[in-house]
Amino acid sequence: MSLRDVFERHPERRYIMFGGKGGLGKTTLSATCAYWLARQGKRVLLFSVDPQASLSDIFQKDIFGKGAVPIVENLWAQEIDADKRIKEYQDEIRQKILDMYGFDRVPEEIDNYIASASAEPAMEESAIFDAVVDIIVKGDYDYYIYDLVPLGHALYYLSMAKVYDEWINKITKLRQDMGQYDQVAATLRREAHVEEDKILEELRYIKGRINTSSQILTDKKRTAFFFVLVPEEMIILDTQKAAELFARFDVPVSGYVVNRVLPQELRGANVPAFLRNRMQMQEKHLGAIRANLGSQILAYVPEMERDVSGLPMVERLARQLFESP
Amino acid sequence: MSDKEPKKSGLFQIFKDIVYGMSSHEMTRHAVRSRASMEHLFILITMGDLLGVPILPPYYSLRLLPYVTPQISTWKRRMLRERDITDTIG
Repeated sequence: MSLRDVFERHPERRYIMFGGKGGLGKTTLSATCAYWLARQGKRVLLFSVDPQASLSDIFQKDIFGKGAVPIVENLWAQEIDADKRIKEYQDEIRQKILDMYGFDRVPEEIDNYIASASAEPAMEESAIFDAVVDIIVKGDYDYYIYDLVPLGHALYYLSMAKVYDEWINKITKLRQDMGQYDQVAATLRREAHVEEDKILEELRYIKGRINTSSQILTDKKRTAFFFVLVPEEMIILDTQKAAELFARFDVPVSGYVVNRVLPQELRGANVPAFLRNRMQMQEKHLGAIRANLGSQILAYVPEMERDVSGLPMVERLARQLFESP
Repeated sequence: MSDKEPKKSGLFQIFKDIVYGMSSHEMTRHAVRSRASMEHLFILITMGDLLGVPILPPYYSLRLLPYVTPQISTWKRRMLRERDITDTIG
């Protein structure tokens, strides 16, 4: 089966993710894939959840923090500016406090809390997580292609969804119990009406946001997750470990893409010993990958003679990946 | 609670209030107190950072902050004060 077959046989898989260690070409493959799908007439949004995103480099266009920017017909790309989002979010919270209580400024203690909470490392991830939900609930594209962060982050992202969800369940329960006490007090005082709990509403909203995102990540019907690896010993081992972890989180792995394979036409020519050794090494590792993953390998992507940046290069790679037999 | 309703019978209302005071008032007080303790517990698990106890991921706890803003100072006082003999009596 090839990468193309996966898309043709499963048009319902609208959320496409490429995962793998840093620097293996996830962004390149996401961009290539997005480009090809757009060429097939699908409306595609390619977005990056990586704080150090490089979609701008690949399309040679500054798109950071600018929303969904059109690249070619049917293809939009977006890089989320987490810092900007956090700042806007803080202002929103401050404004809400001012509006709710008619203060002319936010109490110092509260303001300090808002500032220090935002300095936490988890803040950035959470902000991106939340931004992704915004993108997805709008739902006006045929395909959403995630340019995922390196594996460790992706796992963190997934486990965070689980932890959040359990937490929210617990505090929602506590909040409901509190509501019952309110009810008891009101009944004893013969008051008919209990005020609607705004906090409970907020908790339900938060839960909804978290579930939307984590459901997509683990949805076997609508999501395709591809692992990217290269024929090197360390990478193969790490990918195996990651695949086990992903299985534990129920992420539906649709297949593997082997990147940076030295082109066959180099073989037999008058190659220097250095390159010949590299090729032999790759051959050995490719053998191991084939033995391990077999039919789950969807594509072998050749090492290019130059960086994949700019549309002509993306187009060339797309043809290699999807059109070649 | 009674001042909202038009007073049909003053005597009956007084009787009602006395019965309430003798029977349900203590229970009401207990319910309200339990509710207040839980409120503090709730703020602790959502806003723990304010005391240096990070519990809920901060991005979403900020969403709840506006609703608990008025309670924050009494809550901090309650959580940080030392316990004394009157606690056991109260």
